[in-house]
Amino acid sequence: MADYFSELGFRPLAEGEVPDHGAHLLRLLRDSGNFDLLQMFVELRGEGGSSAPAASKAAVQALPLVQPLENENCAVCLKNYDEESQCRMMPCKHKFHQECIFTWLKQTNSCPICRKELPTDDLDYEAIRKHKERESERNQQLESLHNSMFS
Amino acid sequence: MANIAAQRIKREFREVVTSEEVQRCAIKLELVNDSFTELRGEIGGPPDTPYEGANYVLEIKVPETYPFNPPKVRFVTKIWHPNISSVTGAICLDILKDQWAAAMTLRTVLLSLQALLAAAEPDDPQDAVVARQYKEKNDLFRLTARHWGAAYAGGPDRNSDFENKIRRLLDMGVEEHKARVALSSYDWDLERATEQLFS
Ligand SMILES: [Zn+2]
Ligand SMILES: [Zn+2]
Repeated sequence: MADYFSELGFRPLAEGEVPDHGAHLLRLLRDSGNFDLLQMFVELRGEGGSSAPAASKAAVQALPLVQPLENENCAVCLKNYDEESQCRMMPCKHKFHQECIFTWLKQTNSCPICRKELPTDDLDYEAIRKHKERESERNQQLESLHNSMFS
Repeated sequence: MANIAAQRIKREFREVVTSEEVQRCAIKLELVNDSFTELRGEIGGPPDTPYEGANYVLEIKVPETYPFNPPKVRFVTKIWHPNISSVTGAICLDILKDQWAAAMTLRTVLLSLQALLAAAEPDDPQDAVVARQYKEKNDLFRLTARHWGAAYAGGPDRNSDFENKIRRLLDMGVEEHKARVALSSYDWDLERATEQLFS
């Protein structure tokens, strides 16, 4: 039986270690597709701060370096760009100083201007997000089906 | 304070103070100290709301991590609103918590607070007593909010019926603000407010 549990990523507790019931609960909810409850617990764990996690490191490193126009300014620090400015562009085309946008994305995964999201390394958050996308897609399909039947 | 926060506030400050919008929307921003860590905001109550004609002072504290974290904002002027504590002035507004974004400025915060005065969110209350009145007795809520605006924020229309009830409690030795809170909380039922004050 030990193999079965270790395959699932379980391991015996070290001496004096307390099980992380919260982590187990989140995994259970994620694996069983109970997304509403999952979201509730993730938000409770977040306590006050931003509910969205940091952007994934890979996605941040992949943001292209760009040359900004000199009369533009960075919406994070409000400084004008100059020749030495190192800038990165988000998928939504918004540009920022590399330092400014990297600091922000370490904290949360969305564009400081338009809130378009980058992927994260957080499994719970991604599960909830995919679930929401599927749900809105389904609603749109239902709506267009409904419209085609009754218009 | 970290340099980036102070420098950004300096830029914002110049921008807000010089903008025409300041006159039009009745928003104001003043420095409280030289280190740009604390500011005093002021917003005018929006037209066609119980807050119209009144002015509300805000305490704004800028964290070292600004603009990566939101400023801490609180109403200094006493106000009757579902999303603002009538006791502490604490505000329940998503952009001051988890919906903050680094491109927002003190100007957008002040404008959002003005919008909050025009459109309350009673289902996400900061002050449960006010929220209940807002939902169950909205006419009375509007009169009460207007009355608080006249009493604390230079607004028009001191409600004479409310004033008379407050005077009755003053005659019994109750302090004016306490009397106003008790009456507002009990939907201006003098008997119940008295009972609560002396129990
Ligand atoms: Zn910048
Ligand atoms: Zn964007």
